[in-house]
Amino acid sequence: MTSSTATAAASPATPKTRYRGVTARILRRAWGQTEMKLAASIFLALTLLTLFGPYVIDASATKMSVANKFLPPIFMEGGKLPHFLGTDQLGRDLLLRSLIGLRNAFAIGVVSVVGMFILGCAIGIYSGYRGGLTDVILMRLTDVQMSIPVVILAITVLGMSRPSPLTIIAVLILASWPVYARVARGVTLAERQKEYVRAAKILGASDLRIMVRHIAPSILPPIAFVAVLDVARMMIFEAIFGFIGIGIQPPTPTFGTIIASGTQYLLNAWWITIVPGVLLALALGSLNLMGGVLERARNHILQGGE
Amino acid sequence: MAFAIEFFLRRISQGVVIVILVAFVIFTLLRIVPGDPIRIILGPMASATALEEKATELGLRDPIYVQFGRFMGQVTTGDFGRSFIRGAQGGSAGGSQDAVGYNPESRASVSALIANALPYSLQLAALGIAFAFLVAIPIGLGAGLRAGKWPDRLGLYVSSLFVSLPNIWVGVVLIFLLSAKTGWLPAIGYQGFAYTIIPAMVLAIELSPVMIRAISVSVAANLGEVYFDVGLVRGLSRRTMVAKHVLRNAAVPLLNLFGAQMIGMLLGGLFVVEYIFSYPGIGMLTINAVFQRDFPIIQAVAILASAALVAINMLVDFASTTIDRRLKF
Amino acid sequence: MSASLATKTASANNPQASVAPVMEVRGLSVVVSTAAGERSILSDIDLTVAPRSVLGIIGESGSGKTVLSRAMVNWLKPPLAITRGSVRYDGRDLLTLPAATMAGLRGREIAYIGANPTSALDPTVPVGHQILEKLRAVAPELSPQAARQRVIDTLDAVRIPSPKQRFDEYPFQFSGGMMQRAMIVDALVSNPKLLIADNITQPLDVTVAAQILRLLRDLQKDFDTSIVFVSSSLGIVSEIADDMIVLDRGHIVERQSVTGLLATPEHVYTKELIAKVPKIWATAEAPPEPSSDTVVLDVRDVDKTYRVRDRKAIFAERQVRAVRGVSFTVRRGENFGIIGESGCGKSTLSRLLSCLEQPDAGEIQFEGRDIATLKGRDLLGLRRRFQLLLQDPYNAIAAHASIGRTIAEPLLIHGLGNRREIEQKVKDVMAEVGLAPTLYNQLPIGLSAGQRQRVNIARALVLEPELLILDETLSSLDQVEQAKLLDLFETLQVKRGITYVYISHDLAMVRRVCARIAVMYLGRIVELADNDTMYWRSAHPYTRALLSAVPTVEAKPYRTGTYLLEGEPPDPIDIPPGCSFRTRCPFAFDRCATDDPSQTIYADGNASACHLPRNSLPAPELAH
Repeated sequence: MTSSTATAAASPATPKTRYRGVTARILRRAWGQTEMKLAASIFLALTLLTLFGPYVIDASATKMSVANKFLPPIFMEGGKLPHFLGTDQLGRDLLLRSLIGLRNAFAIGVVSVVGMFILGCAIGIYSGYRGGLTDVILMRLTDVQMSIPVVILAITVLGMSRPSPLTIIAVLILASWPVYARVARGVTLAERQKEYVRAAKILGASDLRIMVRHIAPSILPPIAFVAVLDVARMMIFEAIFGFIGIGIQPPTPTFGTIIASGTQYLLNAWWITIVPGVLLALALGSLNLMGGVLERARNHILQGGE
Repeated sequence: MAFAIEFFLRRISQGVVIVILVAFVIFTLLRIVPGDPIRIILGPMASATALEEKATELGLRDPIYVQFGRFMGQVTTGDFGRSFIRGAQGGSAGGSQDAVGYNPESRASVSALIANALPYSLQLAALGIAFAFLVAIPIGLGAGLRAGKWPDRLGLYVSSLFVSLPNIWVGVVLIFLLSAKTGWLPAIGYQGFAYTIIPAMVLAIELSPVMIRAISVSVAANLGEVYFDVGLVRGLSRRTMVAKHVLRNAAVPLLNLFGAQMIGMLLGGLFVVEYIFSYPGIGMLTINAVFQRDFPIIQAVAILASAALVAINMLVDFASTTIDRRLKF
Repeated sequence: MSASLATKTASANNPQASVAPVMEVRGLSVVVSTAAGERSILSDIDLTVAPRSVLGIIGESGSGKTVLSRAMVNWLKPPLAITRGSVRYDGRDLLTLPAATMAGLRGREIAYIGANPTSALDPTVPVGHQILEKLRAVAPELSPQAARQRVIDTLDAVRIPSPKQRFDEYPFQFSGGMMQRAMIVDALVSNPKLLIADNITQPLDVTVAAQILRLLRDLQKDFDTSIVFVSSSLGIVSEIADDMIVLDRGHIVERQSVTGLLATPEHVYTKELIAKVPKIWATAEAPPEPSSDTVVLDVRDVDKTYRVRDRKAIFAERQVRAVRGVSFTVRRGENFGIIGESGCGKSTLSRLLSCLEQPDAGEIQFEGRDIATLKGRDLLGLRRRFQLLLQDPYNAIAAHASIGRTIAEPLLIHGLGNRREIEQKVKDVMAEVGLAPTLYNQLPIGLSAGQRQRVNIARALVLEPELLILDETLSSLDQVEQAKLLDLFETLQVKRGITYVYISHDLAMVRRVCARIAVMYLGRIVELADNDTMYWRSAHPYTRALLSAVPTVEAKPYRTGTYLLEGEPPDPIDIPPGCSFRTRCPFAFDRCATDDPSQTIYADGNASACHLPRNSLPAPELAH
């Protein structure tokens, strides 16, 4: 019985505002932030560069050239075109190698996040909705899965078999789905008690219909916003795998192998390691900033803000 | 009291089941991947008949569940078997002797290898967490207490920046800047405490963004709770409300975060960081074991890691239910 | 506490103290800033709080009464802003005081209690400890032992049972009523000069609200505190206040003594307000007659028990007996009412009736078939003819589907008709419940509560059900909207012959629409009677207590004092042996402690579960 819209600001979130076009309001709030526009511009620029760079830059990512090895970036003394960011110990163009690495990492990141999102959320909603023994078994399964650290699982599986993009994606999905299952289950437990679910049951909707048509559309969008952050996290994992030598295998360029190969020449040709890393950090930074802003916008809206 | 006993009885029994399942998964996984353990033990020079003879003698031809049962029986006495590769006196012995001369006693015990490496990893982890707290607590609290103001932005920027730096790259950059270029700190290997500092910084950069986010979100959420505003009107000062109530309530989600997420991250981070810095801890031991297909070490580390996670989660949940009595257990 | 009481009494005897008002509000205006600009919430409010008096402020939702009560403790936050005026307390203007000085007054001299007691305290710290913390903060001169003792004494003074033990219990272990008592303790423990009580009975059941009002009145005398009592219920304010202020859309439209206001209201708005208070007895309308047709719904000895884990013992569970041996029948075309307060088991009963859960024992028969045994197609068939409408019009409708799609959902589930037929049916039913056809493709965003409830009703009606259960369906709507929907239900009943079961706590509404009524207490039906018998000659003390506590402004057949209940309903885990109502019953005698009364069915078909003979209760003080 808060007496006006004005006092609603001082009282906790009323259920009235909670389920009104949540997704649209989160996006609108997020887009209103300067950080979001900045991050989106950086991301767009990098995407364009990755898509069109290889056709515009007159160089090859895999062609070796003894004459051009250890060329510094063009902003340093001794740098020369078209090698904007210099070359590595084999004379290969670092910008091109980085862009291709970025493309591969991003593809692996997106596919694996989509995979873990679908798998995890499906299991989570099912577990939370069913409850009882099903829930106990599925949640203990996530306990088991979560108690094996990602890197141990990855080095065991990838280190023992021949790594390929598909096995890398599989390992990432396998290692990270429980997080989504946990979150989706938690929200479903709360959602199951809501009146619209009860209403749907009374109307005669089947359990599957309630899960797919009623619960999923209300709970998934807020979870999906945070998945943006995981794309960046998966890209880091991809780089780590490459660094240890269990990622995509040479000659395909990946950040991990570029950084690892540069470590030997750190003192005289530091750019081989540092410069591609800056590019990767820029890409990850734009993704994380977008994810962070979205997450904050989500929390703000879910806590009853406008 | 009754509640605590029931809690631990329940959770310990569940935990034991989980650890056994993890052990079984890893154990099976390691026996179905390509690579015959006996070939790894004896090396490429051993003859096929000698291999079979030795494999049967060591029980490697028994069905997996028999091997697993035998292994778990040993584990309960603290014995994780012996390394395939590493000699008891240190160094790699794999593949250098003939089948007849192979004696399991000449290989290092896995428990001893882990016991040697563990203190290094613990030291690194503790320093890494300490550094992470040093950064995350002030920034996270500031961001949570002044939501929407500049400390909040600072929290967003710092966490977005740190979470975007891949640890492998940060490691190399810090080696370059703090060690190779300037010579301020030693970096590769371990010959004293100073060798822990740069690796710990890398760990801290990996851990702190998650902490900053979690602290600021849960503190800000509690400032928005009705009880906070009401407390001010009841006559309590803002400082009392924050110190005695907001932080207490914010601790519950934070504890859960530490259980569910941080420990896993910390373990993963340790592995990578130790590898980058050739730091002689558990991670280094394990990664080398993977490359050498030294199965006993891998399975022992996996089992111990999951047992540690289960135990920490149990303690964290107990702490949470003690703080917030409404929580179910 | 006795010492502090003595000093307060001494100061009350000081003649000068009785002259100066405790608080004076002059020309107070408050605005809210929104994207669309500034809007006035309060304009030019003048009021005076006299010492040792209770000032009632009455206003409907949106009148600005919560903002006013918060402004009186200088507790307004953006987007609210005070544009003009002063709030003078003890010679100083609170609005211009430095924050530190204001903080020193809050809690110590001016206390505030809000409408939401269950979330007012830190959930992780025991209630007593938080009250002690507050007392020590505002009165540092008290020794820890003395402060603790005073908290426990005050808990005792508000009749919280076993206060020493309650001191160490957590907020979630307190019921709403107990928690509101604890908040009263928190406010009064520092002997404030002024207590602002903002809608404090709003979340409470009527019998508990009646206790709280009585308590506050007594304490006001003991503690010699002035009270500003803000409420949206005229019936409640008139029980406690000396003087009244009527607030309408930010303006004070009338001020009078309570008796004067009720007898001779001057402003037209006040007259409207008095007219809107639902009449239970003083009504010309005849209640609906019971119909004696065929039985549609037959509920027989239904039991439902839930298990909860016991924190105090190892691997132990405790049983919550939510519904105990409930039996009743509903006849075709009638309106049946089920009333009771929170925790009486009516929500569990509604879940059982709607076949979301199965009873542990007993049967629910719909047209002669046990609904618990139905599965698959049969169950789907049942759902078509047997619908339930829920309380919350906001959460019952998904935000992401258009209104047309939402109403079509049941037809799609049941596979009734092709796309064109479905659209036609949906549009027809929308017209029937009074929803504009233009809403068909719109999202529910921006619909009012009443419109949402219509969408909800349309969704149930589109299946053409024969029995409709209304589980607190109208509780969240205002009087006007409620009346409109009740008319709609009546029209539909005439047109389609629908049978209604109203599950509600609203005694006035049930009085208006239901022919026969069951009263539930602690999982059991204690009385089942036709409308007139129930309201004029009820046979069970609990029914009379409920009716005596209803906040109305008319003469009642049952005097509040005679039937005032002590304490709260027992925990459904620890149901006392014998009659479950005896712990609170003003008429309990020896037999009640040992024998559980069974339902006695009287010659007129009414029934009640009480050992007292039907006519041994005090005679109603008002003749029909």
